[in-house]
Amino acid sequence: MDILVQTLADGLVIGAFYSLIALGYTMVFGIIKLLNFAHGDLYMLGAFVGYTLLSVVSGNGSGAGLMGIIVVLFLTMVIVGAIGMGIERVAYRPLLLAPRLSILITAIGVSLFLENGSMLFWGAQYQVYPLQLSHDGWEVFGAHITYTQIGLVIISALLMLGLHLFISRTLYGKAMRAIAHDQTACHLMGINVHKVIALTFFIGASLAAGAGTMAGAYYGTVNFMMGFIIGLKAFTAAVLGGIGSIPGAMLGGLLLGMMETAGTFLFGGSWKDVVAFSLLILILVLKPTGIMGEKVTERM
Amino acid sequence: MKKWGSAIVATMLTLSLAVAGCANQGQSSGAADGNEILVGVLLPVTGNNATDGKDMQNAIEMAVKKVNDAGGVLGKKLKIEVADDGCDPQMATTAANKLVSQNVVAVVGGYCSGATLPSSGVFKNANIPLIVPAANSAKLPAQGYDTLFLINGLTPDQAQTAADYMAANQAKKVALVHDNSAYAKDLADFAKAAVEKSGGTVVAYEAINPEEKDFSALVTKLKGIGPDATYFTGYYAAGGLMVKQFKQKGVSGLFFVGDGSFSEDVIKIAGAENAEGLLITATPTAEFIEGAEAFTTEYKATYNNLAPGPFSALSYNAVNLLADAIKRANSTDPDAIKKAIKETKDFKALGQTISFNAQNTLDTSNFAVLKVAGGKFTLAK
Repeated sequence: MDILVQTLADGLVIGAFYSLIALGYTMVFGIIKLLNFAHGDLYMLGAFVGYTLLSVVSGNGSGAGLMGIIVVLFLTMVIVGAIGMGIERVAYRPLLLAPRLSILITAIGVSLFLENGSMLFWGAQYQVYPLQLSHDGWEVFGAHITYTQIGLVIISALLMLGLHLFISRTLYGKAMRAIAHDQTACHLMGINVHKVIALTFFIGASLAAGAGTMAGAYYGTVNFMMGFIIGLKAFTAAVLGGIGSIPGAMLGGLLLGMMETAGTFLFGGSWKDVVAFSLLILILVLKPTGIMGEKVTERM
Repeated sequence: MKKWGSAIVATMLTLSLAVAGCANQGQSSGAADGNEILVGVLLPVTGNNATDGKDMQNAIEMAVKKVNDAGGVLGKKLKIEVADDGCDPQMATTAANKLVSQNVVAVVGGYCSGATLPSSGVFKNANIPLIVPAANSAKLPAQGYDTLFLINGLTPDQAQTAADYMAANQAKKVALVHDNSAYAKDLADFAKAAVEKSGGTVVAYEAINPEEKDFSALVTKLKGIGPDATYFTGYYAAGGLMVKQFKQKGVSGLFFVGDGSFSEDVIKIAGAENAEGLLITATPTAEFIEGAEAFTTEYKATYNNLAPGPFSALSYNAVNLLADAIKRANSTDPDAIKKAIKETKDFKALGQTISFNAQNTLDTSNFAVLKVAGGKFTLAK
């Protein structure tokens, strides 16, 4: 029992990170039908920007308090969100009407640019986060669940809730949904399409950055390649939940995290990815649109 | 999708290497004639293992400078040409080919066994001797290349050292974790054999993906098993995180790491309090070697007070061995150098006396068990 609860709790934390990143994939895909392969690197960038800011905040050795961490998290999300917007402006907007493949390859280029740029800027070594999170927590059915884990899951849940409210209740959210339906029609209705797309990139990038900073603080190390594998996993989560669907991305991330930890427990560490990706294949065979995806007709 | 991504990454890296190679060739043209002997250096200076790679490069540069200051070899100066293998088999092959095309007379290098396996083949085909200071998978000498020389102790020796220490401390139930790299899997396999031979049982044999950071599922599983000792055989980046998560979850027993995790970074990543009591099977660094005090002092003075890393003494030895062999060969012909290295008898180096056996490896094991105490490495025995 204790091991089951522990496994589920650990899976929930990993799943929360996957979900936050998967949201960016799914939002961008939903609105301009682009698989933004640079998205995992925005997560990496978030981890590094958070690392730099935290180093400044805790520079005199006093260590950043809880307030400091939250301020850093917020600042990182804004900075990386702005970078995400910049990427959209420079790399993707000029190609919006070009064939789909051009923009996809550009995304891979942006990914390589971000990875190697970060390597030049922060170095190739592993950087260690300048804080050690407390390991105190509750004993639930014999499993040790730390306050940090609970905090991470709560912050992730709040971010996702905020996103959900934004998309479903605000005018900009409505514009996003409208553009996902038909970009040209929105243009004709006087909606500033580019502005809304830029906003989508801002939100996606800042969610990934939030996940990056939290992961950096939680695990303790950051490295310029850390976005690659988690980017692929989050992409899997987005497809699992149904790419383009926001609740699907949340669900897909959590499901993937849980399946991975359960897979490790049942079959051993080397089978972790096999379990995760078998699940993906299974879902795609049984329901090609993903768990919550809807069938859309290809327009272009 | 993953395969596709890595293929693209590999292509880009190859391209960038080719470009870098062209630039370097421009600089070093004419190096091989004239008054210089060009020696290749093949190390991971970028990527996950860049810290150790850089450290080895420092030691090599120091040794080269010393040899040159003492008048060089055969009246010529040694000049090194560094190529980055990134601990990646594909990158290593490209980098090795680059060195071959630049007509190096010999090569010092090889950190990850996985990358050294293919690159040693490239040098074998070009008949260029390769002295390996760090990589020590048993698969390397098993290839039977006459151009390949290993001066680090071999994996079976390391596994035996770990198994002996476990047996001496009544650790019967042993969990083994590797990271699927050639070196780590090799070490885990030998450790399994050694532990079973000394009467212990392997209660778990697991693998992790070193690109990831969350090993909690595996650690929880180990906690349920309750081993007397856990041996992680992979590299330090994942090793530090393993130690941290292992301690935080409160798994029972001793925790061992192999020499791939022998780096100050492992303590930094795990955090000093989690790393306390961590055991490492490794060849001792310069500071634990008698007679290497001068080396340590000079290294610190040259490199900004940086302490020499795990393979710096061995890298230093490799260059000195090569310089000695070129002198004895009285020629810069790779064939003659190869023969001279092979004939090395009782070459006195830091912490080891080098003579090669039939497999071009050393007969004596230099492995020891170290322990982290007060945030520092100390000898455990």
